[in-house]
Amino acid sequence: MEGRSLTPILKKIIPALITIAIVAWLYKFYGAWAYTIKNLAEFFRLTLEHLLLVIISMAAAVTVGVGLGTLMTRKGFDRLSPALMGVVNIWQSVPSLGVIALAYGFLPLLGMSGIGVVPALIALFFHAVAPIVRNTYAGIQAVSKDVIEAATGMGMNQKQILFRIELPNALPVIMGGIRTSTAIIVGTAPLAFLIGGGGLGFWIFTGIALMDMGIMMAGAVPVALIAMLADSALARTEKIVVSKGIQAEEYQVAM
Amino acid sequence: MNIMLKLENVTKIYPGAEHIKAVDDLSFDLPEGEICTVVGPSGCGKTTAMKMINRLIPMTSGKIYVDGQNINRLDTIELRRNIGYVIQNIGLFPNMTIAENIAVVPKMKGWDKDRIIERAESLLELINLPPEEFMDRYPRELSGGQQQRIGVARAMAADPPIMLMDEPFGAIDPINREHLQNEFLRIQEKVKKTIVFVTHDIDEAIKMGDKICLLKAGKLVQFDAPEKMLTEPANDFVRDFLGGDRTLKRLNLLKLKAAMRPDPVVIMQGASPAKAKAMLDDLKVDHLIVVDEEKRLLGYVNHQALQKEAEEIGKVTRSTDSFMLASSSLKDGLSEIFTHDLGYLIVVDDDKKVLGVLDTEDIREILRR
Repeated sequence: MEGRSLTPILKKIIPALITIAIVAWLYKFYGAWAYTIKNLAEFFRLTLEHLLLVIISMAAAVTVGVGLGTLMTRKGFDRLSPALMGVVNIWQSVPSLGVIALAYGFLPLLGMSGIGVVPALIALFFHAVAPIVRNTYAGIQAVSKDVIEAATGMGMNQKQILFRIELPNALPVIMGGIRTSTAIIVGTAPLAFLIGGGGLGFWIFTGIALMDMGIMMAGAVPVALIAMLADSALARTEKIVVSKGIQAEEYQVAM
Repeated sequence: MNIMLKLENVTKIYPGAEHIKAVDDLSFDLPEGEICTVVGPSGCGKTTAMKMINRLIPMTSGKIYVDGQNINRLDTIELRRNIGYVIQNIGLFPNMTIAENIAVVPKMKGWDKDRIIERAESLLELINLPPEEFMDRYPRELSGGQQQRIGVARAMAADPPIMLMDEPFGAIDPINREHLQNEFLRIQEKVKKTIVFVTHDIDEAIKMGDKICLLKAGKLVQFDAPEKMLTEPANDFVRDFLGGDRTLKRLNLLKLKAAMRPDPVVIMQGASPAKAKAMLDDLKVDHLIVVDEEKRLLGYVNHQALQKEAEEIGKVTRSTDSFMLASSSLKDGLSEIFTHDLGYLIVVDDDKKVLGVLDTEDIREILRR
């Protein structure tokens, strides 16, 4: 039994270890490690900026995304939903660089600066919000009509149905949207540097401009680490907040 | 008797289909503690009629009274919390444990925690699912039949006087359905709820109903006790709907007690063989039923058994399986008569006391009535 269950773990772990070893070696080989140690204060500042870009834009995106996605399922709004979903879907297909460029181009038309941290946050927010709206809407729509009918027939009011039945049962799908968004945003945040948003993008683009692999990797590797840590943190959160009655079976076995 | 549910000229016309009355001038009274099965061909308005009672569907005109109160004067939410509701597809909340599912309505009604837990445990015991095993499990871990039992328990959680059940056993396989029906009737014996039970299955309607409400195209065709409907169908539609085996269906409904010949000739186990022989000859019968001092069934004796030497017939009594509880259905009884040795059935009570006998002639007799 133990031997059999060990194989898939090994299959997962060995490629990961090999990848980490190669990246670590390259990181050291190109001098990224040395560069980071030499500029440690700047490293922490850029990482902090990067984290703030991600956390602030994600917090706003989760709030607005879940709110809007929920609103779209409510009576009265549901007639607008197909049109809104169309907009959301088109919006989601705009590439990351495009979103940054749009912020740079459009915000001045609204009388705001197109350069700096705020435009970067706005761009990231708009980029992050689409998958969350979409998944929240789809997740609530997917809650069984029988369950809703039973809840209504038992005398739950609209608010109770939303908070005790619809949202808890849609949570795995909503969390899926949040994880997708987070992955996209951690990866897009370096582009914020292009419109003066700061963050680890500074080292990445400097490295590219100077054709210095070391500086580039000193920025890129932490970005990848943040993406991985964020995703595993969210996976853990999901396991805590999602009811065991609706968690995917694989999570339960893994526990 | 207290009328718990009263429908008065209830009519439903769906917007966009003004020329069709989904429910057309429906009136009936349902006394407290009775099950009314609502049955009819699909599209006859039976589910619509039921859902107007807890106002899941607003009625177009007419009045519905629950325990004397006009439901349109009550708060919808409050009304629903006082009416148990079971649907065909169960609709357990997948994110909640079994205990949490059962607790939903009591919680909304503000019961304290201990009382809710106590209630959940006693309900699980009532439906034969051990609480310690099931309280903390989730719906998806249960079989369909178990889930539906939880659905019923959940509907009864806050002890509502009225329950609405929309084809509750419709999605269950036939063997489990029969089991659930019997179990539900057993529970109903104890809790005596007033129940509106929608079904499309006439056999289920006959079995479960104290009254059957037969609808056709929204109109009430006949509202009667099953036995009455089977013996006196109001028209050809009812006759057709009940099916050609209408008379046989009554077998399911009638109990042995109704058809048996009471107080049969019996003989005490202490009696002498001579007396038994004399009785057999006098009565011109093949066997005599032997009982003890409490009139409990021991077996029978016939001429062959009496050929053996014995001081009292208790020693030569032959045992028999040809007996049944008075509360069994005639259908089961008939089957036993054909299976067993005596050619007739001895009807007994729970203590195995002899109440009467029953043969095929008696069954013919009662069916001809």
